[in-house]
Amino acid sequence: MAKILIVDDEEDVRISLKQVLERAGHEVSVAKSGTEGLEMMKQEAADLVITDVIMPGIDGIATARQIREKYRNTRIIVMSGGGKTAPEPYEPDAIKTRSYLASASGAGADSTLTKPFDRNEILRMVQKLLDEP
Amino acid sequence: MARHLNTIPGRLVLMLLLIHALLMPPLFYVISSTVERTMKDSFVDNVRNLAQIFVDRFERLGPDAAEQRIVAFLDSAILSGQGRYAAIDIGGRTLASSVMSDQDTGLFREDFAFGEHDDNVYYLSLPVSGLTAPAVLKLGYDESPIHEDFSAVRRTLIYVLTAYLLLTLFVAGLMSSTIVRPLRWLQKESRAISSGDVDRELKPDSRLEEISALADDLETMRRNLVGINERLKKEIAEREQAEAERLQLEQQVHHHQRLRSLGTLAGGVAHEFNNVLLPMVLYLELALEDLPADSPVAENLLRVQDLANRAKGLSQQILTFSRHDSDARLVETDLAPVVEEAVTMIRALQSATVDLRAEINAGCSPVKCIPEQIKQLLVNLCNNASRALAENTGHISVSLDEVEASEQLASKYPQLAARSYVVIEVRDTGGGMDAETMERIFEPFFTTQEVGKGTGLGLSVVHGIVKRHQGEIVVESESGKGTSFRIFLPSAGRDEQTG
Repeated sequence: MAKILIVDDEEDVRISLKQVLERAGHEVSVAKSGTEGLEMMKQEAADLVITDVIMPGIDGIATARQIREKYRNTRIIVMSGGGKTAPEPYEPDAIKTRSYLASASGAGADSTLTKPFDRNEILRMVQKLLDEP
Repeated sequence: MARHLNTIPGRLVLMLLLIHALLMPPLFYVISSTVERTMKDSFVDNVRNLAQIFVDRFERLGPDAAEQRIVAFLDSAILSGQGRYAAIDIGGRTLASSVMSDQDTGLFREDFAFGEHDDNVYYLSLPVSGLTAPAVLKLGYDESPIHEDFSAVRRTLIYVLTAYLLLTLFVAGLMSSTIVRPLRWLQKESRAISSGDVDRELKPDSRLEEISALADDLETMRRNLVGINERLKKEIAEREQAEAERLQLEQQVHHHQRLRSLGTLAGGVAHEFNNVLLPMVLYLELALEDLPADSPVAENLLRVQDLANRAKGLSQQILTFSRHDSDARLVETDLAPVVEEAVTMIRALQSATVDLRAEINAGCSPVKCIPEQIKQLLVNLCNNASRALAENTGHISVSLDEVEASEQLASKYPQLAARSYVVIEVRDTGGGMDAETMERIFEPFFTTQEVGKGTGLGLSVVHGIVKRHQGEIVVESESGKGTSFRIFLPSAGRDEQTG
């Protein structure tokens, strides 16, 4: 039983993910953007944040970085459709372009997921991160 | 005829003939007339000496000589040789030789020069003293032997001059052939050279200074020409090669840019799809959970789930093509076992009729790679190859080897750096492709298969994987002969040591 915050600009992603996590017994809140997510964290810090990367306003990488700075114990999962990377412009054949994954890890994310994933994948990852000391 | 006159032997013969035509008649005339004159003079001298001897003999007879004795003397003048006429007038009385062929004393007409009269007899008279009365001896000698001698001399002269002319012409012919033969040879060789056989050395067999000087000059010219020719050929070849390289490079850049923008586009589409797919997958799972297992709705939802999974697979393939910086890290790996494993897997997956041959060099340097992606690449290439074979009874060969990209190879494929590569090759003996198809094979969703067969992503994925590995693809295809895909992956071993 943990407090989980989902940050994604896609409504259906938020709703479906919320249902999946609630059925697993977690207390889930959702935010439409990075800014909103950070606001909600101020009111009540979540144990785990799942954030999308590409969002209007503050992107997922920046969101993760700010959460990591302020809330040391919060676990962070960064997820993406995988087609674009941030913050650098996407370059298909430039191997040096740091992937969103590397950017996310650099920003303090504990783990990453590529959309689409199924229920088991996300639940297993959440459980693993919450169980870690 | 006129053509022959315009040759060196022709001119030479003509010139000699002209010279002789001008010189020979006067020469003939001078020689023959000199000889004739000499012969006439000596005839006249002889006849006169002979006559003088007879005069002396008559004078020695004295005045008392019998008439009979006188006639006998006259007869001896006839009988001794060419005498034709012998008579003596003594005081108005004429005594003639009794053996004269013609007894007519009236024939006598004195000649004061040879052949003065055309009676063919040279008549002369000499006074004789000491006889009974003043006397005149009249003698006639045959001129015809001299005339015969003249003709003989003229004939001989004509023979000699003709022989001389012929000899001159023969010598001229010989001489002109020593000029003409090397000239002809030079002409033949020059013609061969001008028709392209430039490697003939011009060295005629002649000691004539002019000819050998001409040949030397021609030879120098030939060598220069050969030099210029070779330089030009080299230059043309270099230009052609540079042009070909530039064109190839241009095409590659163009191709690359197109694939890149396609990658960006496809990646963006896949991204959006993934954002749609995620909630779909999750909703489906939630819905299925809420339904009893035997619900007819569940059955259809399971089908939707299968479709969602297929969509997920597709979008992942698109991402492999478009995103070359995947999450997995490149690990230094020996490719031999990876390729072997992939070949085993492909053999298991493909129909038994496909003849798949593998030739793996286990001694290749390791490569920084994601082994799973290399396997994927092989599977995709082999799938493609087996489709290319169709019903043909050909085969697919997979090989792994290491090559040092020489300058030659690099000039043929400018995308290759001069370094060591591990090369995976998949070759089929299928139908091959045309240039237009080859240009587009890596584009996502480009397929030559019927609609519904093949996604058109197989080679796009291969392209993505190769780019991810900093490798290069060289495709060669010949319609009707088959296709070869060569994947050049930079070998890790050596670079690590030097760098």
